[in-house]
Amino acid sequence: MVGAGRTFGRFYPAVSLLHELDPRAKILATAIFILGIFLVGSIPGLLEVAAALAVLVVASRVPPGVFLRTLRPVAIIVILTALFQILFSREGVTLFEWGILQVHEGGLSMGFFLALRILLLVLAAGLLTATTSPVALADGVEDLLSPLKRFRFPAHEVAMMTTIALRFIPTLQEEAQKIMNAQAARGASFAEGGLIRRAQAFRPVLVPLTVGAFRRADELAEAMESRGYRGGEGRTRYRELRFQVRDALALAVAALVIALGALL
Amino acid sequence: MKLELVDVWHVYSPGTEFEVAALRGVSLSVESGEILGVVGGTGSGKSTLAQHMNLLLTPTRGRVLVDGVDAAAMRKRDLRRRVGLVFQFPEQALFAPTVEEDVAFAPRQLGLGEDEIRRRVQNSLEAVGASHLTGRFPHALSGGERRRVAIAGILAMEPEVLVLDEPTAGLDPAAREDLLGLVSRFRDESRSVVLISHDLDEVAEVADRVCVLEKGEVRAVGTPAEVFYENLDVAPATVRVVSELHGVYPDLGRPVRFGETLQALRGLLEA
Repeated sequence: MVGAGRTFGRFYPAVSLLHELDPRAKILATAIFILGIFLVGSIPGLLEVAAALAVLVVASRVPPGVFLRTLRPVAIIVILTALFQILFSREGVTLFEWGILQVHEGGLSMGFFLALRILLLVLAAGLLTATTSPVALADGVEDLLSPLKRFRFPAHEVAMMTTIALRFIPTLQEEAQKIMNAQAARGASFAEGGLIRRAQAFRPVLVPLTVGAFRRADELAEAMESRGYRGGEGRTRYRELRFQVRDALALAVAALVIALGALL
Repeated sequence: MKLELVDVWHVYSPGTEFEVAALRGVSLSVESGEILGVVGGTGSGKSTLAQHMNLLLTPTRGRVLVDGVDAAAMRKRDLRRRVGLVFQFPEQALFAPTVEEDVAFAPRQLGLGEDEIRRRVQNSLEAVGASHLTGRFPHALSGGERRRVAIAGILAMEPEVLVLDEPTAGLDPAAREDLLGLVSRFRDESRSVVLISHDLDEVAEVADRVCVLEKGEVRAVGTPAEVFYENLDVAPATVRVVSELHGVYPDLGRPVRFGETLQALRGLLEA
Protein backbone atom coordinates (compact mmCIF):
# COMPACT_ATOMS: atom_id res chain seq x y z
CA MET A 1 0.00 0.00 0.00
CA VAL A 2 2.93 2.26 0.51
CA GLY A 3 3.56 4.50 -2.42
CA ALA A 4 -0.08 4.48 -3.40
CA GLY A 5 -0.78 8.04 -4.41
CA ARG A 6 2.60 9.20 -3.28
CA THR A 7 4.64 8.50 -6.33
CA PHE A 8 5.72 11.36 -8.50
CA GLY A 9 4.34 11.29 -11.99
CA ARG A 10 1.62 8.72 -11.54
CA PHE A 11 -0.84 8.16 -14.37
CA TYR A 12 -4.37 9.16 -13.42
CA PRO A 13 -6.91 7.59 -15.77
CA ALA A 14 -9.83 9.85 -16.70
CA VAL A 15 -11.82 10.82 -19.75
CA SER A 16 -10.65 14.17 -21.07
CA LEU A 17 -9.36 15.77 -24.23
CA LEU A 18 -5.91 15.86 -22.66
CA HIS A 19 -5.95 12.12 -22.10
CA GLU A 20 -6.99 11.52 -25.69
CA LEU A 21 -4.35 13.67 -27.38
CA ASP A 22 -1.55 11.92 -29.25
CA PRO A 23 1.26 11.23 -26.77
CA ARG A 24 3.77 12.73 -29.21
CA ALA A 25 1.83 15.99 -29.21
CA LYS A 26 1.77 16.00 -25.42
CA ILE A 27 5.48 15.24 -25.13
CA LEU A 28 6.35 18.00 -27.60
CA ALA A 29 3.96 20.46 -25.96
CA THR A 30 5.49 19.69 -22.57
CA ALA A 31 8.94 20.19 -24.05
CA ILE A 32 7.79 23.56 -25.44
CA PHE A 33 6.48 24.53 -22.00
CA ILE A 34 9.55 23.38 -20.11
CA LEU A 35 12.08 24.98 -22.45
CA GLY A 36 9.84 27.97 -23.12
CA ILE A 37 9.41 28.82 -19.45
CA PHE A 38 13.09 29.81 -19.45
CA LEU A 39 12.32 32.39 -22.14
CA VAL A 40 9.61 33.97 -20.03
CA GLY A 41 11.44 36.73 -18.19
CA SER A 42 8.81 38.52 -16.16
CA ILE A 43 6.36 37.77 -13.39
CA PRO A 44 3.30 38.74 -15.48
CA GLY A 45 4.60 36.40 -18.20
CA LEU A 46 4.89 33.51 -15.73
CA LEU A 47 1.44 34.28 -14.34
CA GLU A 48 0.05 34.02 -17.85
CA VAL A 49 1.70 30.60 -18.28
CA ALA A 50 0.40 29.61 -14.83
CA ALA A 51 -3.12 30.59 -15.83
CA ALA A 52 -2.83 28.49 -19.00
CA LEU A 53 -1.58 25.48 -17.00
CA ALA A 54 -4.40 25.96 -14.50
CA VAL A 55 -6.90 25.77 -17.37
CA LEU A 56 -5.21 22.55 -18.52
CA VAL A 57 -5.37 21.08 -14.99
CA VAL A 58 -9.12 21.71 -14.92
CA ALA A 59 -9.51 20.37 -18.48
CA SER A 60 -7.61 17.18 -17.56
CA ARG A 61 -10.36 16.15 -15.10
CA VAL A 62 -7.62 14.97 -12.75
CA PRO A 63 -8.30 16.11 -9.15
CA PRO A 64 -6.01 19.09 -8.39
CA GLY A 65 -4.93 17.28 -5.21
CA VAL A 66 -3.00 14.81 -7.36
CA PHE A 67 -0.89 17.67 -8.75
CA LEU A 68 -0.45 19.27 -5.35
CA ARG A 69 1.03 15.99 -4.18
CA THR A 70 3.50 15.89 -7.07
CA LEU A 71 4.58 19.38 -6.07
CA ARG A 72 5.26 18.38 -2.47
CA PRO A 73 8.71 16.81 -3.01
CA VAL A 74 10.02 19.98 -4.65
CA ALA A 75 8.53 22.26 -1.99
CA ILE A 76 11.83 22.40 -0.07
CA ILE A 77 13.79 23.40 -3.15
CA VAL A 78 11.23 26.07 -3.97
CA ILE A 79 11.23 27.49 -0.44
CA LEU A 80 15.03 27.48 -0.18
CA THR A 81 15.42 29.15 -3.57
CA ALA A 82 12.93 31.85 -2.65
CA LEU A 83 14.47 32.41 0.80
CA PHE A 84 17.95 32.71 -0.67
CA GLN A 85 16.86 35.39 -3.08
CA ILE A 86 14.79 37.24 -0.52
CA LEU A 87 17.53 37.31 2.12
CA PHE A 88 20.68 37.77 0.08
CA SER A 89 19.71 39.93 -2.84
CA ARG A 90 20.56 43.61 -2.40
CA GLU A 91 18.72 45.05 -5.37
CA GLY A 92 16.04 47.71 -5.34
CA VAL A 93 14.42 49.55 -2.46
CA THR A 94 14.98 48.21 1.08
CA LEU A 95 11.64 47.01 2.37
CA PHE A 96 12.65 45.64 5.73
CA GLU A 97 15.73 45.66 7.90
CA TRP A 98 16.53 43.80 11.10
CA GLY A 99 20.16 43.53 12.17
CA ILE A 100 22.07 42.04 9.30
CA LEU A 101 18.86 40.89 7.65
CA GLN A 102 17.73 43.06 4.79
CA VAL A 103 14.87 42.41 2.45
CA HIS A 104 14.98 44.30 -0.80
CA GLU A 105 12.29 44.71 -3.38
CA GLY A 106 14.45 43.11 -6.07
CA GLY A 107 15.08 40.04 -3.91
CA LEU A 108 11.45 39.63 -3.10
CA SER A 109 10.34 39.70 -6.70
CA MET A 110 13.27 37.53 -7.82
CA GLY A 111 12.45 34.97 -5.12
CA PHE A 112 8.82 34.85 -6.19
CA PHE A 113 9.84 34.64 -9.85
CA LEU A 114 12.21 31.69 -9.35
CA ALA A 115 9.83 29.81 -7.05
CA LEU A 116 7.01 30.19 -9.55
CA ARG A 117 9.26 29.05 -12.38
CA ILE A 118 10.22 25.81 -10.59
CA LEU A 119 6.61 25.09 -9.67
CA LEU A 120 5.48 25.58 -13.27
CA LEU A 121 8.23 23.29 -14.58
CA VAL A 122 7.15 20.50 -12.25
CA LEU A 123 3.48 21.12 -12.95
CA ALA A 124 4.01 20.89 -16.72
CA ALA A 125 5.80 17.56 -16.34
CA GLY A 126 3.16 16.33 -13.90
CA LEU A 127 0.42 17.20 -16.36
CA LEU A 128 2.07 15.02 -18.99
CA THR A 129 2.52 11.95 -16.77
CA ALA A 130 -0.90 12.28 -15.13
CA THR A 131 -2.74 12.28 -18.46
CA THR A 132 -0.56 9.85 -20.42
CA SER A 133 -0.33 6.16 -19.59
CA PRO A 134 3.22 4.79 -19.33
CA VAL A 135 2.62 2.64 -22.41
CA ALA A 136 1.46 5.62 -24.48
CA LEU A 137 4.36 7.65 -23.16
CA ALA A 138 6.84 5.00 -24.22
CA ASP A 139 5.24 4.69 -27.66
CA GLY A 140 5.46 8.44 -28.06
CA VAL A 141 9.08 8.64 -26.95
CA GLU A 142 10.03 5.77 -29.23
CA ASP A 143 8.34 7.37 -32.17
CA LEU A 144 9.93 10.75 -31.56
CA LEU A 145 13.36 9.15 -31.24
CA SER A 146 12.94 6.88 -34.25
CA PRO A 147 14.58 9.28 -36.76
CA LEU A 148 17.75 8.66 -34.73
CA LYS A 149 17.57 4.96 -35.60
CA ARG A 150 19.36 5.88 -38.82
CA PHE A 151 22.38 6.67 -36.66
CA ARG A 152 22.02 3.30 -34.91
CA PHE A 153 20.43 4.86 -31.88
CA PRO A 154 18.42 2.08 -30.08
CA ALA A 155 15.18 4.08 -29.86
CA HIS A 156 12.96 1.10 -29.10
CA GLU A 157 15.27 -0.28 -26.45
CA VAL A 158 15.61 3.10 -24.72
CA ALA A 159 11.85 3.54 -24.68
CA MET A 160 11.30 0.02 -23.35
CA MET A 161 13.93 0.41 -20.62
CA THR A 162 12.47 3.73 -19.56
CA THR A 163 8.97 2.31 -19.33
CA ILE A 164 10.14 -0.68 -17.34
CA ALA A 165 12.14 1.52 -14.99
CA LEU A 166 9.16 3.82 -14.40
CA ARG A 167 6.83 0.87 -13.98
CA PHE A 168 8.98 -0.67 -11.26
CA ILE A 169 9.55 2.41 -9.10
CA PRO A 170 6.35 1.83 -7.07
CA THR A 171 7.05 -1.91 -6.93
CA LEU A 172 10.51 -1.35 -5.51
CA GLN A 173 9.19 1.22 -3.05
CA GLU A 174 6.66 -1.30 -1.85
CA GLU A 175 9.28 -4.00 -1.56
CA ALA A 176 11.64 -1.69 0.35
CA GLN A 177 8.86 -0.93 2.79
CA LYS A 178 8.11 -4.63 3.23
CA ILE A 179 11.74 -5.44 3.96
CA MET A 180 12.04 -2.50 6.35
CA ASN A 181 8.99 -3.82 8.20
CA ALA A 182 10.44 -7.30 8.33
CA GLN A 183 13.72 -5.99 9.76
CA ALA A 184 11.87 -3.71 12.18
CA ALA A 185 10.10 -6.84 13.44
CA ARG A 186 13.60 -8.17 14.18
CA GLY A 187 14.42 -5.11 16.22
CA ALA A 188 16.07 -2.97 13.54
CA SER A 189 15.53 0.73 13.94
CA PHE A 190 16.00 3.24 11.16
CA ALA A 191 15.53 6.42 13.12
CA GLU A 192 18.06 6.07 15.92
CA GLY A 193 21.72 6.94 16.29
CA GLY A 194 24.00 9.14 14.23
CA LEU A 195 24.36 9.34 10.49
CA ILE A 196 26.76 6.40 10.23
CA ARG A 197 24.65 4.13 12.42
CA ARG A 198 21.59 5.01 10.39
CA ALA A 199 23.37 4.30 7.12
CA GLN A 200 24.49 0.95 8.55
CA ALA A 201 20.91 0.20 9.55
CA PHE A 202 20.03 0.22 5.86
CA ARG A 203 22.37 -2.61 4.95
CA PRO A 204 19.79 -5.25 5.97
CA VAL A 205 17.36 -3.46 3.65
CA LEU A 206 19.59 -2.77 0.66
CA VAL A 207 21.02 -6.28 0.33
CA PRO A 208 17.67 -8.09 0.03
CA LEU A 209 16.25 -5.25 -2.06
CA THR A 210 19.09 -5.60 -4.58
CA VAL A 211 18.84 -9.38 -4.62
CA GLY A 212 15.10 -9.06 -5.18
CA ALA A 213 15.52 -6.53 -7.99
CA PHE A 214 17.89 -8.84 -9.88
CA ARG A 215 15.55 -11.79 -9.39
CA ARG A 216 12.66 -9.69 -10.64
CA ALA A 217 14.65 -8.57 -13.68
CA ASP A 218 15.43 -12.18 -14.56
CA GLU A 219 11.81 -13.18 -14.21
CA LEU A 220 10.61 -10.26 -16.32
CA ALA A 221 13.12 -11.06 -19.07
CA GLU A 222 12.00 -14.68 -19.10
CA ALA A 223 8.34 -13.70 -19.17
CA MET A 224 8.97 -11.33 -22.08
CA GLU A 225 10.95 -13.90 -24.05
CA SER A 226 8.38 -16.61 -23.45
CA ARG A 227 5.84 -14.30 -25.02
CA GLY A 228 8.03 -13.90 -28.06
CA TYR A 229 9.64 -10.52 -27.38
CA ARG A 230 12.65 -10.03 -29.64
CA GLY A 231 13.21 -6.29 -29.49
CA GLY A 232 11.83 -3.56 -31.73
CA GLU A 233 12.62 -5.07 -35.13
CA GLY A 234 9.41 -5.81 -37.05
CA ARG A 235 7.27 -5.26 -33.99
CA THR A 236 3.77 -3.92 -34.70
CA ARG A 237 1.48 -2.03 -32.36
CA TYR A 238 -2.03 -2.71 -31.22
CA ARG A 239 -2.66 1.00 -30.95
CA GLU A 240 -1.28 2.94 -33.90
CA LEU A 241 -0.43 6.54 -33.14
CA ARG A 242 -2.35 9.01 -35.31
CA PHE A 243 -1.38 12.63 -35.33
CA GLN A 244 -4.59 14.58 -35.86
CA VAL A 245 -5.54 18.21 -36.41
CA ARG A 246 -6.31 18.65 -32.72
CA ASP A 247 -2.77 17.49 -31.87
CA ALA A 248 -1.30 20.13 -34.16
CA LEU A 249 -3.64 22.67 -32.57
CA ALA A 250 -2.44 21.66 -29.10
CA LEU A 251 1.16 22.32 -30.15
CA ALA A 252 0.18 25.69 -31.61
CA VAL A 253 -1.61 26.66 -28.40
CA ALA A 254 1.42 25.67 -26.31
CA ALA A 255 3.72 27.76 -28.52
CA LEU A 256 1.30 30.68 -28.37
CA VAL A 257 1.08 30.59 -24.57
CA ILE A 258 4.87 30.66 -24.31
CA ALA A 259 5.26 33.38 -26.95
CA LEU A 260 2.73 35.55 -25.15
CA GLY A 261 4.47 34.91 -21.83
CA ALA A 262 7.84 35.86 -23.30
CA LEU A 263 6.43 39.14 -24.58
CA LEU A 264 4.75 40.15 -21.31
CA MET B 1 1.11 -13.21 27.97
CA LYS B 2 -2.28 -12.18 26.69
CA LEU B 3 -2.48 -10.17 23.50
CA GLU B 4 -5.73 -8.34 22.83
CA LEU B 5 -7.05 -6.20 20.02
CA VAL B 6 -9.93 -3.98 21.02
CA ASP B 7 -12.13 -2.48 18.29
CA VAL B 8 -9.20 -1.96 15.92
CA TRP B 9 -9.77 0.02 12.75
CA HIS B 10 -7.21 0.64 10.07
CA VAL B 11 -7.60 2.99 7.14
CA TYR B 12 -4.90 3.15 4.45
CA SER B 13 -4.16 6.49 2.75
CA PRO B 14 -6.88 8.38 4.62
CA GLY B 15 -8.19 11.49 2.93
CA THR B 16 -7.00 10.53 -0.55
CA GLU B 17 -8.69 8.86 -3.49
CA PHE B 18 -6.85 5.64 -2.51
CA GLU B 19 -8.52 5.46 0.91
CA VAL B 20 -9.41 1.90 2.00
CA ALA B 21 -10.62 0.68 5.39
CA ALA B 22 -8.74 -2.63 5.76
CA LEU B 23 -9.90 -3.34 9.32
CA ARG B 24 -13.33 -2.33 10.60
CA GLY B 25 -13.57 -2.77 14.35
CA VAL B 26 -11.71 -6.03 14.90
CA SER B 27 -11.67 -7.37 18.47
CA LEU B 28 -9.92 -10.59 19.40
CA SER B 29 -7.48 -12.02 21.92
CA VAL B 30 -4.81 -14.71 22.20
CA GLU B 31 -4.06 -16.37 25.54
CA SER B 32 -0.88 -18.10 26.69
CA GLY B 33 -0.58 -21.64 25.40
CA GLU B 34 -3.08 -21.12 22.64
CA ILE B 35 -2.95 -21.28 18.88
CA LEU B 36 -5.32 -18.82 17.25
CA GLY B 37 -5.92 -19.43 13.58
CA VAL B 38 -6.94 -16.47 11.42
CA VAL B 39 -8.51 -17.35 8.09
CA GLY B 40 -10.02 -15.25 5.34
CA GLY B 41 -9.75 -14.61 1.64
CA THR B 42 -7.28 -12.28 -0.03
CA GLY B 43 -8.04 -8.69 0.87
CA SER B 44 -9.86 -9.68 4.06
CA GLY B 45 -7.32 -7.77 6.16
CA LYS B 46 -5.26 -10.71 7.48
CA SER B 47 -1.85 -9.18 6.82
CA THR B 48 -2.92 -5.76 8.05
CA LEU B 49 -4.13 -7.45 11.23
CA ALA B 50 -0.76 -9.19 11.67
CA GLN B 51 1.11 -5.91 11.53
CA HIS B 52 -1.02 -4.47 14.30
CA MET B 53 0.05 -7.17 16.71
CA ASN B 54 3.49 -5.60 17.20
CA LEU B 55 2.35 -2.12 16.16
CA LEU B 56 4.29 -1.97 12.91
CA LEU B 57 1.01 -0.42 11.86
CA THR B 58 -0.80 1.74 14.36
CA PRO B 59 -4.57 1.44 14.53
CA THR B 60 -6.51 4.36 13.08
CA ARG B 61 -8.91 3.70 15.95
CA GLY B 62 -8.93 1.17 18.78
CA ARG B 63 -6.21 -0.31 20.98
CA VAL B 64 -3.79 -3.20 21.24
CA LEU B 65 -3.30 -4.51 24.78
CA VAL B 66 -0.45 -6.62 26.16
CA ASP B 67 -1.49 -8.20 29.45
CA GLY B 68 -4.03 -5.41 29.77
CA VAL B 69 -1.47 -2.65 29.18
CA ASP B 70 -1.80 -0.40 26.14
CA ALA B 71 0.93 -1.53 23.73
CA ALA B 72 1.28 2.03 22.40
CA ALA B 73 2.74 2.99 25.77
CA MET B 74 5.37 0.23 25.69
CA ARG B 75 8.85 0.64 24.25
CA LYS B 76 8.68 -0.45 20.61
CA ARG B 77 11.74 -2.65 21.05
CA ASP B 78 10.23 -4.53 24.01
CA LEU B 79 6.94 -4.99 22.23
CA ARG B 80 8.62 -6.37 19.09
CA ARG B 81 10.75 -8.74 21.15
CA ARG B 82 7.73 -10.11 23.00
CA VAL B 83 5.53 -10.35 19.90
CA GLY B 84 7.58 -11.98 17.14
CA LEU B 85 6.11 -11.30 13.71
CA VAL B 86 7.04 -13.53 10.78
CA PHE B 87 5.96 -11.84 7.57
CA GLN B 88 4.67 -13.52 4.45
CA PHE B 89 7.68 -14.83 2.46
CA PRO B 90 10.05 -13.86 5.30
CA GLU B 91 13.01 -15.29 3.36
CA GLN B 92 12.93 -12.15 1.20
CA ALA B 93 14.45 -10.24 4.09
CA LEU B 94 17.53 -12.46 4.56
CA PHE B 95 20.62 -10.33 4.12
CA ALA B 96 23.67 -11.57 6.01
CA PRO B 97 26.53 -13.52 4.39
CA THR B 98 25.90 -16.57 6.57
CA VAL B 99 22.83 -18.18 8.09
CA GLU B 100 24.35 -17.84 11.53
CA GLU B 101 24.83 -14.10 11.22
CA ASP B 102 21.36 -13.60 9.83
CA VAL B 103 19.71 -15.40 12.74
CA ALA B 104 21.98 -13.48 15.14
CA PHE B 105 20.69 -10.15 13.80
CA ALA B 106 17.70 -9.82 16.13
CA PRO B 107 19.46 -10.91 19.36
CA ARG B 108 22.30 -8.55 18.47
CA GLN B 109 19.82 -5.68 18.08
CA LEU B 110 18.60 -6.57 21.56
CA GLY B 111 22.11 -5.97 22.85
CA LEU B 112 22.67 -9.47 24.24
CA GLY B 113 26.10 -10.90 25.07
CA GLU B 114 27.98 -13.04 22.54
CA ASP B 115 27.46 -16.28 24.51
CA GLU B 116 23.75 -15.68 24.78
CA ILE B 117 23.54 -14.81 21.09
CA ARG B 118 25.31 -18.04 20.17
CA ARG B 119 23.01 -20.06 22.40
CA ARG B 120 19.91 -18.49 20.87
CA VAL B 121 21.12 -18.94 17.30
CA GLN B 122 21.77 -22.61 18.01
CA ASN B 123 18.44 -23.16 19.72
CA SER B 124 16.33 -21.45 17.10
CA LEU B 125 18.08 -23.15 14.17
CA GLU B 126 17.54 -26.44 15.98
CA ALA B 127 13.87 -25.64 16.52
CA VAL B 128 13.32 -25.22 12.79
CA GLY B 129 15.53 -28.20 11.92
CA ALA B 130 18.23 -26.13 10.23
CA SER B 131 21.26 -26.63 12.50
CA HIS B 132 23.25 -28.07 9.61
CA LEU B 133 22.93 -24.84 7.61
CA THR B 134 24.81 -22.60 10.08
CA GLY B 135 27.71 -21.53 7.86
CA ARG B 136 25.89 -21.48 4.53
CA PHE B 137 25.08 -18.45 2.35
CA PRO B 138 21.34 -17.82 2.80
CA HIS B 139 20.61 -17.01 -0.84
CA ALA B 140 22.15 -20.28 -2.00
CA LEU B 141 19.65 -22.36 0.01
CA SER B 142 16.44 -23.94 -1.24
CA GLY B 143 13.14 -22.15 -0.73
CA GLY B 144 12.12 -24.35 2.19
CA GLU B 145 15.49 -23.98 3.88
CA ARG B 146 15.42 -20.21 3.53
CA ARG B 147 11.95 -20.12 5.07
CA ARG B 148 13.22 -22.11 8.07
CA VAL B 149 16.19 -19.80 8.53
CA ALA B 150 14.00 -16.70 8.32
CA ILE B 151 11.65 -18.08 10.97
CA ALA B 152 14.64 -18.93 13.18
CA GLY B 153 15.59 -15.25 12.86
CA ILE B 154 12.40 -14.34 14.73
CA LEU B 155 12.56 -17.25 17.19
CA ALA B 156 15.97 -15.97 18.28
CA MET B 157 14.20 -13.11 20.05
CA GLU B 158 12.44 -15.75 22.18
CA PRO B 159 9.06 -14.08 21.73
CA GLU B 160 6.11 -14.87 23.96
CA VAL B 161 3.67 -14.58 21.09
CA LEU B 162 4.59 -15.79 17.62
CA VAL B 163 2.59 -14.29 14.76
CA LEU B 164 2.99 -16.16 11.47
CA ASP B 165 1.58 -14.65 8.26
CA GLU B 166 1.02 -17.42 5.71
CA PRO B 167 4.05 -19.39 6.93
CA THR B 168 3.40 -22.45 4.76
CA ALA B 169 2.69 -20.66 1.48
CA GLY B 170 4.75 -22.29 -1.25
CA LEU B 171 6.23 -25.01 0.98
CA ASP B 172 6.20 -28.71 0.12
CA PRO B 173 4.07 -31.04 2.32
CA ALA B 174 7.03 -32.26 4.38
CA ALA B 175 8.26 -28.76 5.19
CA ARG B 176 4.69 -27.81 6.01
CA GLU B 177 4.35 -30.67 8.51
CA ASP B 178 7.62 -29.63 10.16
CA LEU B 179 6.43 -26.08 10.49
CA LEU B 180 3.08 -27.05 11.98
CA GLY B 181 4.99 -29.27 14.43
CA LEU B 182 7.03 -26.24 15.45
CA VAL B 183 3.84 -24.25 16.00
CA SER B 184 2.40 -26.98 18.25
CA ARG B 185 5.63 -27.20 20.29
CA PHE B 186 5.51 -23.45 20.78
CA ARG B 187 2.08 -23.80 22.34
CA ASP B 188 3.26 -26.66 24.55
CA GLU B 189 5.83 -24.28 26.03
CA SER B 190 2.76 -22.22 27.01
CA ARG B 191 3.61 -19.44 24.63
CA SER B 192 1.02 -18.40 22.08
CA VAL B 193 0.78 -18.47 18.30
CA VAL B 194 -1.30 -16.52 15.83
CA LEU B 195 -1.40 -18.56 12.63
CA ILE B 196 -2.65 -16.57 9.66
CA SER B 197 -3.42 -18.72 6.69
CA HIS B 198 -5.78 -19.35 3.86
CA ASP B 199 -5.14 -23.07 4.08
CA LEU B 200 -8.24 -24.08 6.04
CA ASP B 201 -7.07 -27.65 6.57
CA GLU B 202 -3.89 -26.65 8.32
CA VAL B 203 -5.73 -24.19 10.56
CA ALA B 204 -8.32 -26.85 11.46
CA GLU B 205 -5.44 -29.20 12.18
CA VAL B 206 -3.52 -27.17 14.75
CA ALA B 207 -5.59 -24.19 15.93
CA ASP B 208 -7.35 -24.15 19.30
CA ARG B 209 -9.56 -21.32 18.14
CA VAL B 210 -10.31 -19.91 14.73
CA CYS B 211 -11.20 -16.39 13.70
CA VAL B 212 -12.78 -15.82 10.30
CA LEU B 213 -12.02 -12.42 8.84
CA GLU B 214 -14.14 -11.02 6.05
CA LYS B 215 -13.78 -7.56 4.51
CA GLY B 216 -11.95 -6.34 7.61
CA GLU B 217 -14.53 -7.61 10.08
CA VAL B 218 -14.60 -10.66 12.35
CA ARG B 219 -17.29 -12.92 10.99
CA ALA B 220 -16.90 -15.77 13.49
CA VAL B 221 -14.64 -16.83 16.39
CA GLY B 222 -14.59 -20.16 18.22
CA THR B 223 -13.18 -23.68 18.16
CA PRO B 224 -12.57 -25.03 14.65
CA ALA B 225 -15.62 -27.31 15.02
CA GLU B 226 -17.91 -24.45 16.09
CA VAL B 227 -16.74 -22.08 13.42
CA PHE B 228 -16.37 -24.44 10.48
CA TYR B 229 -19.56 -26.48 10.94
CA GLU B 230 -21.59 -23.29 11.24
CA ASN B 231 -19.95 -21.54 8.29
CA LEU B 232 -19.66 -24.24 5.69
CA ASP B 233 -18.72 -21.78 2.96
CA VAL B 234 -15.41 -21.09 4.72
CA ALA B 235 -14.89 -24.66 5.93
CA PRO B 236 -12.13 -27.03 4.80
CA ALA B 237 -13.04 -29.96 2.52
CA THR B 238 -13.03 -32.47 5.41
CA VAL B 239 -15.73 -30.54 7.21
CA ARG B 240 -17.87 -30.22 4.13
CA VAL B 241 -17.73 -33.95 3.49
CA VAL B 242 -18.48 -34.84 7.10
CA SER B 243 -21.32 -32.36 7.45
CA GLU B 244 -23.22 -34.38 4.82
CA LEU B 245 -23.35 -37.23 7.37
CA HIS B 246 -24.14 -35.07 10.37
CA GLY B 247 -27.81 -36.02 10.59
CA VAL B 248 -26.84 -39.64 11.24
CA TYR B 249 -23.45 -39.30 12.98
CA PRO B 250 -23.35 -35.99 14.88
CA ASP B 251 -19.93 -36.69 16.48
CA LEU B 252 -18.11 -37.50 13.29
CA GLY B 253 -15.34 -35.10 12.40
CA ARG B 254 -15.12 -33.41 15.80
CA PRO B 255 -12.43 -32.26 16.43
CA VAL B 256 -11.83 -31.10 12.88
CA ARG B 257 -8.72 -33.15 12.18
CA PHE B 258 -8.18 -34.91 8.91
CA GLY B 259 -6.55 -38.03 10.39
CA GLU B 260 -9.15 -38.57 13.11
CA THR B 261 -12.04 -37.86 10.76
CA LEU B 262 -10.64 -40.31 8.25
CA GLN B 263 -10.38 -42.98 10.93
CA ALA B 264 -13.98 -42.40 12.06
CA LEU B 265 -15.20 -42.66 8.48
CA ARG B 266 -13.25 -45.87 8.01
CA GLY B 267 -14.83 -47.33 11.17
CA LEU B 268 -18.21 -46.32 9.85
CA LEU B 269 -17.70 -48.10 6.56
CA GLU B 270 -16.52 -51.28 8.27
CA ALA B 271 -19.51 -51.37 10.61
